[in-house]
Amino acid sequence: MSIRNTSSVDGVRLALLTSRLQSVARAMMNTLARTGRSGILNTARDFSCCIVTARGELLAMAESLPIHVMSGPDLMAQAMLEFHPEVAKGDAFLHNSPYHGNSHAADHTLLVPVVDGGEHRYTLMVKAHQADCGNAAPTTYSADATDVYAEGALIFPCVQIQRDYEDVADIVRMCRMRIRVPDQWWGDYLAMLGAARIGERMMFELGEEIGWDVLDEYRREWFDYSERCMIEAISRLPAESVTYETCHDPFPGIPDGVTIKVVVDVDPIEKRIRVDLRHNDDCQPSGLNLTESTARTAAMIGVFNSLGPGVPPNAGSFRRLEVLLRDNCIVGRPTHPYSCSVSTTNLADRLTNAVQGAFASIGDGYGMAETGAAMPPAWGVISGRDPRHGHRAYINQIFLPSVTGGAGGPVTDGWLTIGHVGNAGMMLRDSVEIDEMHHPIRIERQHILPDTEGAGRRRGAPAALVEYGPTHAAMDVMYGSDGAVHAAKGVRGGGAGATSAQFLRRADGELVELPPVARVTLQVGETIVSHSTGGGGYGHPRDREPDLVLHDVMDGLVTSGRARTVYGLDTALPTKNP
Amino acid sequence: MMRIATDMGGTFTDLIVERGDSGVRLYKSPTTPNEPLVGVFNAIQLAADDFGQTMSELLAGTDTFVHGTTRSLNAVVTGQTARTALLTTEGHPDILLFREGGRGAPFDFTRSYPRPWVPRDRTFEVPGRIAADGSEVRPLDEEAVKTIVERLREGEIEAVAVCLLWSVVNPAHEARVGELLAELAPGLPVTLSHEINPIVREYRRACSTVLDASLKPLMGAYLRALQGSLESRGFRGRLLINTSAGGVQDALDVAAAPIHTINSGPAMAPVAGRYYAGRDAGNAVAIVADTGGTTYDVSVVRDGRIPVTQEAWIGERHAGQLTGFPGVDIRSVGAGGGSIAWVDAGGMLRVGPQSAGSEPGPVCYSRGGTEPTVTDACLALGYLDGDYFLGGRMKLDVEGARRAVTRISGALGLTVEEAAAAILELATEHMVGAIEEITLNQGISAQDAVLVGGGGAAGFNAVAIARRLGCDTVVVPALGAVLSAAGALMSDLSAEWARTLRTSTDDFTYDDVNAVLAELQGECAAFADGPGANAISTTVELVAEARYPSQVWELEVPLRVATFAERADVEQLRSDFHRVHREIFAIDDSRSPVEIVGWRARVRCRMHDRGLLPDASGSADRALAHRPVYLRALGAVDVPVVPLALLSTTDPVPGPLIVESPVTTIVVNPGASAVRTATGSVLVRLDKSVPSPTRARR
Repeated sequence: MSIRNTSSVDGVRLALLTSRLQSVARAMMNTLARTGRSGILNTARDFSCCIVTARGELLAMAESLPIHVMSGPDLMAQAMLEFHPEVAKGDAFLHNSPYHGNSHAADHTLLVPVVDGGEHRYTLMVKAHQADCGNAAPTTYSADATDVYAEGALIFPCVQIQRDYEDVADIVRMCRMRIRVPDQWWGDYLAMLGAARIGERMMFELGEEIGWDVLDEYRREWFDYSERCMIEAISRLPAESVTYETCHDPFPGIPDGVTIKVVVDVDPIEKRIRVDLRHNDDCQPSGLNLTESTARTAAMIGVFNSLGPGVPPNAGSFRRLEVLLRDNCIVGRPTHPYSCSVSTTNLADRLTNAVQGAFASIGDGYGMAETGAAMPPAWGVISGRDPRHGHRAYINQIFLPSVTGGAGGPVTDGWLTIGHVGNAGMMLRDSVEIDEMHHPIRIERQHILPDTEGAGRRRGAPAALVEYGPTHAAMDVMYGSDGAVHAAKGVRGGGAGATSAQFLRRADGELVELPPVARVTLQVGETIVSHSTGGGGYGHPRDREPDLVLHDVMDGLVTSGRARTVYGLDTALPTKNP
Repeated sequence: MMRIATDMGGTFTDLIVERGDSGVRLYKSPTTPNEPLVGVFNAIQLAADDFGQTMSELLAGTDTFVHGTTRSLNAVVTGQTARTALLTTEGHPDILLFREGGRGAPFDFTRSYPRPWVPRDRTFEVPGRIAADGSEVRPLDEEAVKTIVERLREGEIEAVAVCLLWSVVNPAHEARVGELLAELAPGLPVTLSHEINPIVREYRRACSTVLDASLKPLMGAYLRALQGSLESRGFRGRLLINTSAGGVQDALDVAAAPIHTINSGPAMAPVAGRYYAGRDAGNAVAIVADTGGTTYDVSVVRDGRIPVTQEAWIGERHAGQLTGFPGVDIRSVGAGGGSIAWVDAGGMLRVGPQSAGSEPGPVCYSRGGTEPTVTDACLALGYLDGDYFLGGRMKLDVEGARRAVTRISGALGLTVEEAAAAILELATEHMVGAIEEITLNQGISAQDAVLVGGGGAAGFNAVAIARRLGCDTVVVPALGAVLSAAGALMSDLSAEWARTLRTSTDDFTYDDVNAVLAELQGECAAFADGPGANAISTTVELVAEARYPSQVWELEVPLRVATFAERADVEQLRSDFHRVHREIFAIDDSRSPVEIVGWRARVRCRMHDRGLLPDASGSADRALAHRPVYLRALGAVDVPVVPLALLSTTDPVPGPLIVESPVTTIVVNPGASAVRTATGSVLVRLDKSVPSPTRARR
């Protein structure tokens, strides 16, 4: 059914300008992907670009990572104006403060105000996860940091890094003195700046061509349109208030783990959704605390995953979505100096899972199961010196297919390369050959671990094993892996995914289990073995179509034994091998 | 003697015949997907009839037959390829399953994760490991390979792909596996990754390898059947096949490496586009667009070169199948004549991605279509003459088209004409989006380029697209409706070789590099002396695949020397790289050294030296007329309709007007003027002072 367009909306202009603004965001993304220096940018695409209005409303996000942009750009654009009320053409601001709207400190954000004729029209945001951000330990995720001082990153609460298109050299010098492998950071900074400036140029062209006033009218119409789409989606849901709990494993500083409790209220009459996060623990002496942006965003991702495609994520649709936070809460507004070093993944993922799990309990066809927890050593930060190249220092996060299992949903099985629920599978994985060329490492094995999926009518994605080690000199690996204790739960009769584990393989072949959070120094001849988590299943596995079970057996995801016992497959399995 | 080119598309098989100096004639016959050769020979019969000859007479008088086929692409899309096995390095059996990551839309969980091209139960792990520097970590276990070959035979495997880690640096293991396969399973088609696509990145290389292997039985049979059928009908000339590199190769060479045919059709368009941009507009920078029924394909020409990419997809990005194989960089967007217009729940106009395709096609084709399409919009606007489509051979239902468009006009509160104009304008915007993506990635400024419009439907909005891009010249070639076939007749016999050898400008390994370059040139020379023996001219291009340290996406930099003799040669390469990086990305890091990862050589053998001219006998079968049309800037107006043959070759005719021929219609908007060139193209110049269409919305 289509809603007749009774307002004065210009449905044609809406379509034309939406297409153009998405092109601007996409052009920024493409530029960054192709010019970034660190593997985390140029291979994994761990970055986002978006356009926000002068007032700080999210307008266009292209193929950004959801955890980077749903909320955050708004808060940061507002912080920019609070600290720099008079922005000028040619300005650029570096912002990575978890206490002023950013995610974790490793996500450096450039904010570029689009100023034309002295008037501030829009703000462009480029956020990129750095290979290093000057933490005390060589990792961008200090799970065991008791506070921001122990964490050690340089914090830039929206400081000016360009004026009149020239770098503020003071800031650049600070970064070069504190960030490991400074040339890598510098190359990534140039790439981010290039992306922002290309976006700026395209916005100027657009403003010049169609006029800023027309763009303003469009903006209002686009937000109204998006809100209408949201209203439509919410009106299809039943009225419900659901409480759902899920747990993060014990970690350094939180010996009992963290229980996340969400209360989701769906009101199809008022066409509103409210997620209440206030009934959770206070901030903890750990790097796991969320920031305001990641707490809000993680909840929003859970909602959008449950609404299905068709609702554009922007300030318009967000009008119908309320996330209640409180100060000094581990999933709320953090209090300085609590550390938020790991605020984009672990607890954020658990929070998203709780919200989509809550939707699933409304009824069949709603919500999703839980996605497997992150981040095993297959996504570790590696560092050391490379004897192949004059012992030069290296540090980088690698993205081997940890394949933390995607969650089963009402329609499809878990997405196999989801990464973690917050990036929605938008990132790319590393090539074995590229990693072995760039770093003195060898990736010995990477493959699916069969029978690790949360069984279901729509199963979760399975877990994967990755094994790697240094080839020329000792190497540090840092990781913080959730999911060893608390598996990703299935919903509506679906099973839980497998738990995570990691091991050190000694030179003599002996396997030694490693803790979930560690900094491990590997000698040549030793390897680290990473088992990721599986995703939860949706619906009862006995309801799964036999053809699909058979495909899973052929693809090596499920063994024939499990196909029979768990899925009840009684069709003859292919006996001929292959 | 004659030369013939055929291009098999999804809907039509195009055929063009070039007869000495007397010009070119073109024919279209429906594609017959189930028996593809039938459609080809139907098209040949059309040509023979037109020349008053039998098919045998026509073929006997033909010295070159160039064929472009979608046979391989269709086989991949429909999954009708050979039962293929993959042999991969032990420990890495899921390369194809893991893909490269990436997903289309973050909140859309209605689309399933794609299954691997070769499932795990036909994937075999080969013990043995080569390191990144080419050294052997663990020896190849030949006994294990023999056991695998046994299992391949038991498993009724029809083709084998071998892709081992680092075979591009040291192919010893992979080559030995190839030998064992040849020995123990003679006749089984095999593709080795370091031979078919020697690039770093195991997933992309594996994709190329499995695609190639899985196509070998089918394409071998198809190409042999084509050659046999042609010869049995009197053809004694040379059969050449289009490749994705925008060149041609001998049919038997292509049968041995059929991946070359994937995406080969669209790859020929820029070859023709480059010619017309140069000849008609004197420009070496071009945007070449080919409008089809369901897709709009865009490629570019930069400084006379056609850029290539390894990121070609079959189907949608992230959801389809990556080929990993270097080919002409083409962006496709689902916007064509058949794209369906609709109004979504929020009241926004949409065009596509659904398409009425060729069946049922637009409403105006009267074949059962009910949803308004872009073609219906053009008919409702008066741009198309319902009685003169394909020269009057097909009647279009104007009333049906208008009725369909009322679905849109009703929902948006517009008149039928306003709604039709909006549909075309939104389709135009989608096309512009595709153009902007490729021009941005290839560092081309649209303002400096000429837009070459190919495909029968190109002319409806080619001028509007140019206006949006700020591009002041449009060329619609007389052969634009068969641009790929035209490109095929113009293209050169070409081949390409590559080596992986990493070095850096601050620690340049002269001897190793020079040895690799010598090898590459040797291969080019052998090709030039073999298939290219009778060439009019031969060129060899050497390029470095280079990047800044720790970047992972390389840029191609043409080499100025064939041997690096001294430091100055290396410095030249370094500064060339900075320049290319700056051109494409607007930034460079001029103090940085440059790393070179790969070296590539392309040989092109020019087999003919004629430009393609349309048949001189073509004359106007209609007189100058007027027709009411709807233009957004002017509303309903009567505009002159000028038959192509009557368009002035000297005095530009100012818009608004329509230039029409049996195969194409060109809308020349106000603020532009049209003239016919010596090649028969319509050349449109845009007046830059006229504002863009989007601005006019104010």
